[in-house]
Amino acid sequence: MKVTYAKAIGDALKEEMRRDQKVLIYGEDVAQFGNIFGVTRGMLEEFGPKRVRNTPITETAIIGSAIGAAETGLRPCVELMYSDFTMVAFTEIFHCVSKWRYMHGPEYRLPLVIRSASGASNGAGSEHSNTVESLFLHAPGLTIITPSCPYDAKGLLKSAIRSDNPVLFCEPKQLYQTKQEIPDEIYESDYTIPIGVADVKRPGRDVTLVAIGLMVPRALEAAEKLAAEGIEVEVIDPRTIAPLDKETIFASIRKTHLAAVVEEGNKTAGVGAELAAMFQEELYDELDGPVARIAALDVPMPYNIRMEKYSIPSVERICASIRAML
Amino acid sequence: MQYEKDFLKKLYENLLDMRLLEKKMVDTYAQGRVPGHVHSGVGQEATYAGVLTNFKEGDYYKRTHRVTAIPYMMGTSLDTFFGELLAKKTGNSGGRGGSLHIGELRTGDLGFSGTLGCDAAVGVGAALTIDMEGRDNVAFVFMGDGTSSRGPVYEAMNLAAAWKLPVLFVCQNNQFAISTPSSYSIAAENAVADRAPGYAMPAKVVDGTDVLAVYEAAKELLEGVRAGKGPAVLECKDYRWRGHFEGDQCAYRDAAVTEDWIEHKDCVKNFEAMLLEQGVLTQEEVDRMRSDFDHAMDEAILRAEAAPEMEPEEIYDGLYV
Repeated sequence: MKVTYAKAIGDALKEEMRRDQKVLIYGEDVAQFGNIFGVTRGMLEEFGPKRVRNTPITETAIIGSAIGAAETGLRPCVELMYSDFTMVAFTEIFHCVSKWRYMHGPEYRLPLVIRSASGASNGAGSEHSNTVESLFLHAPGLTIITPSCPYDAKGLLKSAIRSDNPVLFCEPKQLYQTKQEIPDEIYESDYTIPIGVADVKRPGRDVTLVAIGLMVPRALEAAEKLAAEGIEVEVIDPRTIAPLDKETIFASIRKTHLAAVVEEGNKTAGVGAELAAMFQEELYDELDGPVARIAALDVPMPYNIRMEKYSIPSVERICASIRAML
Repeated sequence: MQYEKDFLKKLYENLLDMRLLEKKMVDTYAQGRVPGHVHSGVGQEATYAGVLTNFKEGDYYKRTHRVTAIPYMMGTSLDTFFGELLAKKTGNSGGRGGSLHIGELRTGDLGFSGTLGCDAAVGVGAALTIDMEGRDNVAFVFMGDGTSSRGPVYEAMNLAAAWKLPVLFVCQNNQFAISTPSSYSIAAENAVADRAPGYAMPAKVVDGTDVLAVYEAAKELLEGVRAGKGPAVLECKDYRWRGHFEGDQCAYRDAAVTEDWIEHKDCVKNFEAMLLEQGVLTQEEVDRMRSDFDHAMDEAILRAEAAPEMEPEEIYDGLYV
């Protein structure tokens, strides 16, 4: 069947809630409204008001209460609507969620998931367009997942809900309506995708291109174009940003000897900055050239659509950056 | 109000033990044997002792940095307690959390955030579990008057009220946020109780140095909370005898006022005098309780000092499950 990213997320939530009574979802406008992107539509009707709860506009209490609920036996999968709003609860996520078990001891498990819609989409402006993976990479203890296609989104969200580690789950909102053909028997098979395992989305021998979230389909499109020019790009989707599957990425770089990172977030101190530093530190002798960082421009995201598109890496910009490496 | 003799004795013992433990931490710190900071809660023991005497199996509580001794009253052993304080492997987080994070979930301790107030909603989440499981338990959320100025506290109160969750918010108003008096930073007379009506919560204000008054006030509020009527606020007025942390000389306040509180509002001394007068306790019993517990603490400290630390190479252990 053709499945959208949004449907895959919704189905993962429903399947996990059917499977485990301890799972519940709450957040702003997730109940009657079914979340502002329609992701949780129909869930209130199926699971009732105790397991599908609206909250006030109260990000700090959403995260704080998720900690308390998780450590006492529930498996809350909470929503912060826009990933930008993680910043409202930055302390709760950075200090509390990610450190809670480490600073209190092994009894204090936090099986919780924080979902949010991330990145730019059609003039959402500077406070509703951010990606936040790089901000939370600085919080050891937190698992960060950003799926790039419906199949991965479903399998990874199911794993996230079953994980006893706290997970920040980023959903690039431009992907919500993208479709993927998935055979029914697979889609309905209760499959999961392991956390911390990258996926080689396209093999290639010339350049390793690590792409995150929304940039994965663009990287694949760029790779297709570059293939016509005789440049074979290996596109790797880490899927889990933290902890990172270094093994898969490093194996690719040992093969291609050139690496680039493409992300929707800002360039400065972005995920690409971290990966580039990691590559030169750990794979210096394998690299035949500098690691390229392809990222959003370092500006607050403008409301103007042409500027928004200009800021975020396009297929053309990715192609140009890769060509410049060779 | 009539109480069983055993009840009063137990309450006194809890109060006394916390006092002695708070003092012991101060002394141990002064001897240079504690690696981190100590926030003494000497003089403020009655709030925790009084409120948590209402604790039932299956309840939870979210502690504060003061009184640090509370996990001991709730069932954490002295070995675990001093193990964590002295940063040893025998502590509940192997010595990686420190004095603010002493405690065990099995005793109902939900943990603590050193970024004050960010954890207020943690108790609300525990109450959500209680609600989902249909139990008549409650979650106690303790906070100080200083913390009460933080936004997350009010998000937590609002959510608890909106969802009608079984939470008792307890403000331990010791009148100081480090050096800043609550009279300067909080316009209302009662830091949290006066704001409770805004969240449609019942509230009580009580003398936080009178352990029986605290116990009774909490008990009364808890009837409604346990019956599913939603959260409530108890504000306990006391006074921080020592500095915010050990080493704080309290140059910002009038020492005579402090002396007056210590002289007249000592929750242990006053309760003890009452029990001696009523014949519930004898001086001999009191002396024995003191020396027995003092001895137990000294032994536990020696064991903690002899206990191994985690190896630095174990630093990543338990970062992920």
